[in-house]
Amino acid sequence: MSSMIEVQQLQKSFGSLDVLKAINFSVSPGEVVAVIGPSGSGKSTMLRSLVHLEEVNGGSILIHGKPLVQNGKYAAAADIRKITSTMGMVFQHFNLFPHLTVRGNLELAPRTLKRESTEVIAARSLELLAKVGLADKADVYPSLLSGGQKQRVAIARALMLNPDILLFDEPTSALDPELTGEVLRVIRTLAEENMTMIIVTHEMSFARDVADRIFFMENGEIAESGTPEQIFGNPQLERTRTFLNRD
Amino acid sequence: MNLDYIIQISGPMLEGARTTILLFLIVIVLSIPLGMLVTLMAKSRLKPLAWIAHTYIYVMRGTPLLLQLLFFCFGLPQIPVIGEYLVFDRFVAACLGFVLNYGAYFAEIFRGGLLSIDKGQHEAAKVLGLSKWQTLRKVILAQMFRVALPAVANESITLVKDTALLYAVAVPELLNYAKTAVNRDFTVTPFVVAGVIYLLMTLVLTLFFKGLEKRFKFE
Repeated sequence: MSSMIEVQQLQKSFGSLDVLKAINFSVSPGEVVAVIGPSGSGKSTMLRSLVHLEEVNGGSILIHGKPLVQNGKYAAAADIRKITSTMGMVFQHFNLFPHLTVRGNLELAPRTLKRESTEVIAARSLELLAKVGLADKADVYPSLLSGGQKQRVAIARALMLNPDILLFDEPTSALDPELTGEVLRVIRTLAEENMTMIIVTHEMSFARDVADRIFFMENGEIAESGTPEQIFGNPQLERTRTFLNRD
Repeated sequence: MNLDYIIQISGPMLEGARTTILLFLIVIVLSIPLGMLVTLMAKSRLKPLAWIAHTYIYVMRGTPLLLQLLFFCFGLPQIPVIGEYLVFDRFVAACLGFVLNYGAYFAEIFRGGLLSIDKGQHEAAKVLGLSKWQTLRKVILAQMFRVALPAVANESITLVKDTALLYAVAVPELLNYAKTAVNRDFTVTPFVVAGVIYLLMTLVLTLFFKGLEKRFKFE
């Protein structure tokens, strides 16, 4: 029960193509895991299956010890919602709601779910916007923000529901190179605050800096995992080495 | 064209314009929600519902509006057995025809609006814990209406002009009054006056929708 996320024998296929082949791992509280690997290796699919954006064909996912899916059998819809609600997700393309202001984006879910008073929600949205350095953008629509600002809003939005696990699906891949820094700084701050995170990324130096553990994925498998020192300093597999040198 | 004559015929013609405007308002108020409903039916996972919606859209878009109006005004009462219960006032029957016809067009417009919404919007809402229904209401519909707005404006202006089809089922309205005056007074002036009144109505609509588009620019 000590692990936040426990994944066993996770397996998914599209037709005859195996996207995930028997993935196993667990993530402890406060741990930051960076997932690297070539395109099409199943990184995003693995991440998305944790929040039920993808359905897997076999294996188990336990969040806080509660089964989202066990041996390929999914929990009841209400349980799935409850289990995934402890996780926040940040997407490559931000997926902000264009018809709402920045503040509206942050407050939509908590206001709709009505677990807290409007005042509490409003106070937290301002606090989180300040945290990502966008307090002055509260009443602006997303169309007027830069990519880096949009992604910081998306992170603040994900934090609104007080998740204890944050998942990032290539958070900087859609950004101009000069805008990645501001987003990575925010993620780094979260890491320092001991947020449990899984980050799918192509930013090798960032992964090395911020992660406690690196998963190198290839061909639907976690081919190699270890501390940044092990993976970047002394990779065991030839293909890990090839991938790292190519970048 | 002298001014006294124009003033003299304008009274009855504005009277006719009232019918036009009334029809317009009834059709807009009823056909937009109908279109919304049909769009949701067409996207439903229940196949019979989707099938009914698609068939309805196909029939209403695939036949002339004039034919539909004639059918609702003069055809319904002649249907065996149930026909005698389907005798409506001609204005009411025409409203029914217009609502059903425009509902189909609005359904297609809204379907296009829905298609334009990125699947990432659904995913973001789902991960934030919103149910399908909450996502539809709070995230999807607002964006769909925004995308559909120019097409809805276009369709509304078409509707203003299509009200002239009431002429064919002998419901007195703007064009009907104009035609009567032209026949009676041997002058083309009433047609010009009618044209100006239609232009005024479409102008009001154009400005209204321009305002809406500006209001919902999300900038």
